[in-house]
Amino acid sequence: MASIGIIANPASGRDIRRLVAYGTVIDNQEKINIVERLILGALAVNVDHIYIMPDSYGLGDQAICKLRHKIDTHRVSVLDMPIDGTQKDSGNAAAMMESIGVKVLITMGGDGTNRAVTKGSMKIPLIPISTGTNNVFPQFIEGTVAGLVAGLMAKNPELHKGVEKHKKLDIFKNDQLVEHALVDAVTSKEMFIGSRAIWDLENVSEVFLTRAQPHNIGLSALGGSLDPLDPLDPEGLRLTLGKGGGTVLAPIAPGLIRKVPIAKSSRMVPGTKITICKTPGIIALDGEREVEIGRRDTASITLNPEGPKVVNLKKVMELSTANNLMIYDKELIQWQ
Amino acid sequence: MEMEKDMLLNMYRKMQEIRIFETRVTELFAEGKIPGFVHSYLGEEAVAVGTCSNLKNTDYITSTHRGHGHLIAKGGQLNEMMAELYGKATGYCKGKGGSMHIADVDLGILGANGIVGGGFTIAAGAGLASKIQKKDDVTVCFFGDGASNQTTFHEGINLASVWDLPVVFVCENNMYGISLSQEKHQKIKDVSDRAVAYGIPGVTVDGNDVVAVYEAIKEAVKRARNGEGPSLIECKTYRHRGHFEGDPTNYRPDEEVQQWKAKEPIGRFRKKLLEMEVCEENELKAIDEEVADQVEKAVKFAEESPDPAVEEAVQDVYTDMIEEVWS
Repeated sequence: MASIGIIANPASGRDIRRLVAYGTVIDNQEKINIVERLILGALAVNVDHIYIMPDSYGLGDQAICKLRHKIDTHRVSVLDMPIDGTQKDSGNAAAMMESIGVKVLITMGGDGTNRAVTKGSMKIPLIPISTGTNNVFPQFIEGTVAGLVAGLMAKNPELHKGVEKHKKLDIFKNDQLVEHALVDAVTSKEMFIGSRAIWDLENVSEVFLTRAQPHNIGLSALGGSLDPLDPLDPEGLRLTLGKGGGTVLAPIAPGLIRKVPIAKSSRMVPGTKITICKTPGIIALDGEREVEIGRRDTASITLNPEGPKVVNLKKVMELSTANNLMIYDKELIQWQ
Repeated sequence: MEMEKDMLLNMYRKMQEIRIFETRVTELFAEGKIPGFVHSYLGEEAVAVGTCSNLKNTDYITSTHRGHGHLIAKGGQLNEMMAELYGKATGYCKGKGGSMHIADVDLGILGANGIVGGGFTIAAGAGLASKIQKKDDVTVCFFGDGASNQTTFHEGINLASVWDLPVVFVCENNMYGISLSQEKHQKIKDVSDRAVAYGIPGVTVDGNDVVAVYEAIKEAVKRARNGEGPSLIECKTYRHRGHFEGDPTNYRPDEEVQQWKAKEPIGRFRKKLLEMEVCEENELKAIDEEVADQVEKAVKFAEESPDPAVEEAVQDVYTDMIEEVWS
């Protein structure tokens, strides 16, 4: 069955970066609107079924309810799974969608949401739509187009040529793989996860990046201004913050532009283990404090080329055009 | 942000003061020693402590019917509080206020409040006073998810927003307005969503994580002191007891209660302090014992205190300040 999945994070876009920075505010009513547009786009190209992650706000249920007079609601369903209102829900939903055989997964959130999703499945190609704060991994994509692309890909396997494999950073604590990051991992002297976000670079010692493009927002912008690195480049980037080197001007969060002293910069080779020396502290992943490292713990970071699969929308739409998937009765059009 | 050990241990102590005080109050109420109504703050300790740890003595708070935790966190003395609950002459309001009306203007506590949503406009007024007097004091307005449906929510936040008043609105979203679950009393899940309607920042944090609350309120207070206006911080939390003591709480699924109790704030904080080797187990144990002793002394103080004299019933009904204002 040609099916797609939707994982929309009801909690994205609400964290402390509305106070310490100028983070985007996208309320859940707007997220419901986006889910509606995704459904309409995918059904327009006859996708067989759309599965949606359940959540505490009922984004999926409300979208289906609003569309009930316009669509065949039997072709859209909210997964039957327990939820606890944490990021685990996203991972569990992704794993369930993989087992069902979902062909493409649309995510709605920020970098953190996509990290949570890829903890559950790394196999399903993702179309990440930005509804979060720091948005390097997800893009600002119109939901209608994302729905169309996902639907076309589910029905036409040849379009999967437009899927690209990205990298990730694996985080080890006491030699056990405990987490991964899709864009950045940051070591900080802070002791608590607290309100999660990282915005005060005073306590940050090192930044590890899978990508660093000059147009990025967040900590990957540090590398973007210094040593640009494409998401498809096999290497990673490691920056040591501190005096003794140069200074980089970078947008480290929405509306928060800082001059950051960089002492050292080096490329990361895939598979090489880099030991974190400064403990205790925190490792923040994709902008959120996530892993606490105690005084007696050891920690290391490794660049792993086997990261998530991401749909290149432009490439897929070009392929679908080349295959006439969006045109009916082309011969009847008068060409001048 | 880095936090000093003294401050972290003080936060732990304050949360334990609330926990042990409130636990004892529920027992005393069940024994019939405390008159009137009691709305227990058990389970929500991190919100009051994470918030008030950012305030100075001259800052103000407006509290709610579930106010014991706010008052302790703002510096309220256990003896006077317990005596007030007992209705004794040595209490904060000479025994005439009881649980829902404890106030101490010297500590910036503008009062617990029996009216749901009663604090919004008082907080806006206090904020306006600070602004007119060119003081850098900040007012924190505590309220619940149910109160966010009251008209005073709009009046208070709207005025604070229009006049850029130094007020931080702190929603303790414990998911129930009395016995009505949030999904039955409002369409939204996050009360912070409403901030956008007033053009102010709205943030949601884990209200059972004292550090998360502390960090968010710190930024909101900084913003307010800088003259940048109010913020709305929503803290997701859960009350361990019913709406009031004696409430059978048959409207909450047992599974939900157990899930939230597993996330209770003091045990979580204690575990983190030990895991990150901020302190030793014996330091925390010593705090626990000191606080338990302090609470027992408060009970003894209350029980041995005199009842108010009969003539007190007609005292403090009207303020003497009226003459001063008009003279």
